[in-house]
Amino acid sequence: MKAVWLFSTALAAMMTLSSALAAPGTVLRDEKIYAQAASTSKVVASVKRGTAVDIVTKQGGWLKVKAGKTEGWIRLLSVRSGTGGVGGAGVGDVVGAATTRSDPTRVVAVAGLRGLSEEELKQAQFNADELARLEANAVKPADAKTRAARSGLVATNIAQLPDPKAAASKSNSPWEENY
Amino acid sequence: MKLKLMIIAISLTSFSGIAGGFDFGKLIEEQLKRESTQPAPTQPAPTSQPAPATQPAPQPAKPKFDPFQLGMTLLKDYSIEEEMRIGRQIAGNLLGAAPLVKDNALQQYVNLVGNWVALQSGRTDIPWRFGVLENEAINAFAAPGGYIFVTKGLYRRLNSEAELAGVLAHEIAHVTNKHHLKVLKKSSLIGALGEAAGRKVEGSDQIVQNLIGNGAEIMARSLDREAEFEADRHGAVFAARAGYDPWGLPNVLQGLATLPNDSRTSLLFKTHPHPADRLAMLGDAVGERFDQVSGKDLADRFYRIR
Repeated sequence: MKAVWLFSTALAAMMTLSSALAAPGTVLRDEKIYAQAASTSKVVASVKRGTAVDIVTKQGGWLKVKAGKTEGWIRLLSVRSGTGGVGGAGVGDVVGAATTRSDPTRVVAVAGLRGLSEEELKQAQFNADELARLEANAVKPADAKTRAARSGLVATNIAQLPDPKAAASKSNSPWEENY
Repeated sequence: MKLKLMIIAISLTSFSGIAGGFDFGKLIEEQLKRESTQPAPTQPAPTSQPAPATQPAPQPAKPKFDPFQLGMTLLKDYSIEEEMRIGRQIAGNLLGAAPLVKDNALQQYVNLVGNWVALQSGRTDIPWRFGVLENEAINAFAAPGGYIFVTKGLYRRLNSEAELAGVLAHEIAHVTNKHHLKVLKKSSLIGALGEAAGRKVEGSDQIVQNLIGNGAEIMARSLDREAEFEADRHGAVFAARAGYDPWGLPNVLQGLATLPNDSRTSLLFKTHPHPADRLAMLGDAVGERFDQVSGKDLADRFYRIR
């Protein structure tokens, strides 16, 4: 019994350790790397779109990355994690090995699991009972407000984001061809 | 695109056959043109809009179709009643493909979070319903009228309430922007003429079913890339307005970017731009704008399923 406990503790420790290890990522735009997780801190390096980095950790809207010998903070939205490069070029990460190795907490047994297929959606028959269950679990907006207040959530006024349409035309994901 | 043109051509032929002397084709063509040039609600109206004065819109003739069905196809925007009727049918069909997870506490939790986020969207004219589907696929769905679903496969990957809020907010934005209704309005040119895929099922709405095609196949159809990017932008803002850490949705996208294309992700990947593209586009829009926004991630309040 004790041995089992020891083993699982060791396993948990190993998992914590390995998830703290760097995961691969790619820089999505020409960007600066800062000394701290703030754009007011010192710029330690500049990186080009397409640069491969190792993601060390994250904090709010920032990722701590290593790029060559440089280590510092970069905006979360300026990097993609995973091994596919920019623009979804490596669709599939078919091997998946890099992902698995770098982040064991994300591993889900794939064999035998099936997602919703197009065919299943096409064949789907209206299910009145489940729809009734959906209705039964619905809540009133007032209840959602009360619960949010109890959780310390405060609604704030934030403007809509602009549409950076100009930049859209240069993207060329292979997934674009899907329809 | 070529396919779309062909389909339009076919429907033009059939329409002119049915409508006799009346130029239905033109009406459809104009409707399509109007639809595709219509600016997004957040955009200022372009000045180069074709002047309607030079081409007076033809008056609708007396067709032999079901007036409700025709109304739902091309003559006007859908009313809220029509939108909810369409959404209910799609939701009922989707639930036929994947039922709800049998955990009422989970379902109510998702409704509490979802409604709070939806309150920040500005759309209060519809009742919002949220559900977690018993399915290992990694995906989320929105149907018109405020029906939002997350699969268990995706839910299990989430790490905080802010991430859940981000996912729900993206779907909420599809509803507030009526993205699926716009797709339907275009495709209904065919749907309204097509025959019902017909077994009678209790509670099912046959007229709406004719419009949406077979089962819940509309949920397997791609919106255009711009609609997905727009839902990311609007969704990130809705979640932040609700007091959540604005990085919930970006964190989920980061996680999706590491996933292989397999049976759990294939539909998601087929119907959405690559997560790397979505991160890049959202990054272009966000820039420094969220630097001063602080919110809660509520990891400790997140309802976890095994």
